[in-house]
Amino acid sequence: MITAGVDIGSITAKAAVIVDGEVKGTRVDFTGYNAEQAGRRVLDELLKELGMDAQSIDRVVSTGYGRNSVKFADKAITEIICHGTGAHFLNPQVRSIIDVGGQDSKAMVVDSEGRVRDFAMNDKCAAGTGRFLEVMARALEVDLGDFGAKSLKSERPSKISSICTVFAESEVISLISKGEKRENIIAGIHDSVASRISALAKRIGVGEPLMMTGGVAKNMGVVKALENRLKMSIEVLESAQVNGAIGAAVMAARL
Amino acid sequence: MEVLNDFYRVAENPYEYSRELKKSGKRIIGYFCSYTPEEIISASGVHPIRLFGTGGDITLADSHLQPYCCSLVRGALEEALEGRLDFLDGTVFPHTCDSIQRLSDIWRLNTNFGFFADVVLPVKLNTESSREYFADILKKFRLDLERGLGVTITDDKLKTAITRYNNIRRSLKALYEMHSKEPGILSGRDLWAVTRASMIMERDDLLVKLSLLKEALKKGGRSGKSEGKKRLVLAGSVCDHPNVYTIIEDSGGVVVWDDLCTGSRYFEGTIEENGNPVESIAARYAERLVCPAKHLSNTARGDNIVRIVKKHDAGGVVFLLLKFCDPHDFDYPYMKEFLDRENIPSMLLEVEDSLPSEAQLKTRFETFIHML
Repeated sequence: MITAGVDIGSITAKAAVIVDGEVKGTRVDFTGYNAEQAGRRVLDELLKELGMDAQSIDRVVSTGYGRNSVKFADKAITEIICHGTGAHFLNPQVRSIIDVGGQDSKAMVVDSEGRVRDFAMNDKCAAGTGRFLEVMARALEVDLGDFGAKSLKSERPSKISSICTVFAESEVISLISKGEKRENIIAGIHDSVASRISALAKRIGVGEPLMMTGGVAKNMGVVKALENRLKMSIEVLESAQVNGAIGAAVMAARL
Repeated sequence: MEVLNDFYRVAENPYEYSRELKKSGKRIIGYFCSYTPEEIISASGVHPIRLFGTGGDITLADSHLQPYCCSLVRGALEEALEGRLDFLDGTVFPHTCDSIQRLSDIWRLNTNFGFFADVVLPVKLNTESSREYFADILKKFRLDLERGLGVTITDDKLKTAITRYNNIRRSLKALYEMHSKEPGILSGRDLWAVTRASMIMERDDLLVKLSLLKEALKKGGRSGKSEGKKRLVLAGSVCDHPNVYTIIEDSGGVVVWDDLCTGSRYFEGTIEENGNPVESIAARYAERLVCPAKHLSNTARGDNIVRIVKKHDAGGVVFLLLKFCDPHDFDYPYMKEFLDRENIPSMLLEVEDSLPSEAQLKTRFETFIHML
């Protein structure tokens, strides 16, 4: 059985191919304006990389905010279900998952079969999401990829008290003009993101073993800040960003 | 089902409808919340219409109310200050939540609709003295209306109004029951339009339309399919968002009953027709399904939501709470505990006058419905 999962997020599109219960490959691309094209492209590129052709895929499940635009998918399933399924597939011990993507942060609790039992999702606000970090990276003129490493060097994290992304950005700008060290500001930003996410996670009572998925999980600064806030250890896999796509491919095998 | 169009026309354009009614010579009194003793207003010969928030932006009201007031209260004031309620001959405020009480003061000082009354209802409804007090307050309200509007409200007029409202409440409940049995006969949006219009439309005309609708439903209604749809209960304060029903239906669910101020809490409980009319009206309001701004017993609301879920064979509950609605927000953990104890899944959705983006809502509803 060969299945594929396509996860169209607000910023990136992800694809995963599973052959007989084993992840064959994954790929990340930008979503851009056209979600359907992005889904097609990221899967085609992945198949090319794997030397496979589209005909060999038995079933496709799409997920992510653009899931309904992926017309070639056999079924669209929400990213909350797919992240739960993906995390459970990669580590069946996991009982809680925090997924932070470009525009959403979500927390979910799963049972021993990986079925979502409860979940919470951020409301119409970008605080505690990847987009928040992107805005701050731009203000600080630091590559977002360097955020994690830089923040871990901080000795005295700044305090960012605004929840609103726009106000937080002006807070960051005034910290810059005061000559505050970048590391400290970044660490403060991470703690601010972590405080939002931990509030969401506590609402549904997340517990260990806890896994973090989604693009923001690549940022070790946020992960550490979140571990401190929740007083729990967080598992982050290499595949964190493509976890939703993997979950979708797993769901496709069960259709 | 042509009769549905009449309900939609009123539900979607309440002000236009009210202005037409006004032209025909009717005086109109606006009210907030389902604790308003509409029967007494109706008996005075004045037409009661329920006021909701605004669908538009809130700008003028923010000079009077802080952002921690719910969008219903802020929106209603916005409508008044914008002059969109110019058809009103008066307003009635029943004593319920803090924000409505404060709105009452601000309203009295900043608007000029003629008649104005605060109906200072008791909060604890389970004591002997509260019953007496409740009846006294309604007697005073009757006098206030008589003096303020220059009318006489006889016992006979009250009895006619009681019968009218009993019929309305029974009809709405019957429609809900028909829909719960066969959700395909009406969409959730249809039922929303019917209940909303019921609080706006001229009530005798409403009764005619309700029975026409009942007939149409007996013939099969919309004859839509509802097999495989997950049966849900909607709980909260007011639902002024018909899209919620549509999005739930698109996500594979169907709302089969509710615990809403604009739903079952409005129509549950009839009035004794043979007793002292004012005391009988007071008894109905004291005994009806309680809202979290009132107290009936420690378990009344929790038991009720569980009973609704079981009676209507629902798989889960969607709490639709208005942001900054204190009574419901304080009540939510208590309600959830009752459901958790019975292993009934629930989800919480906080909304304001406008809904979050449809994509966000769909993700939540689809996930919840998938979980069931």
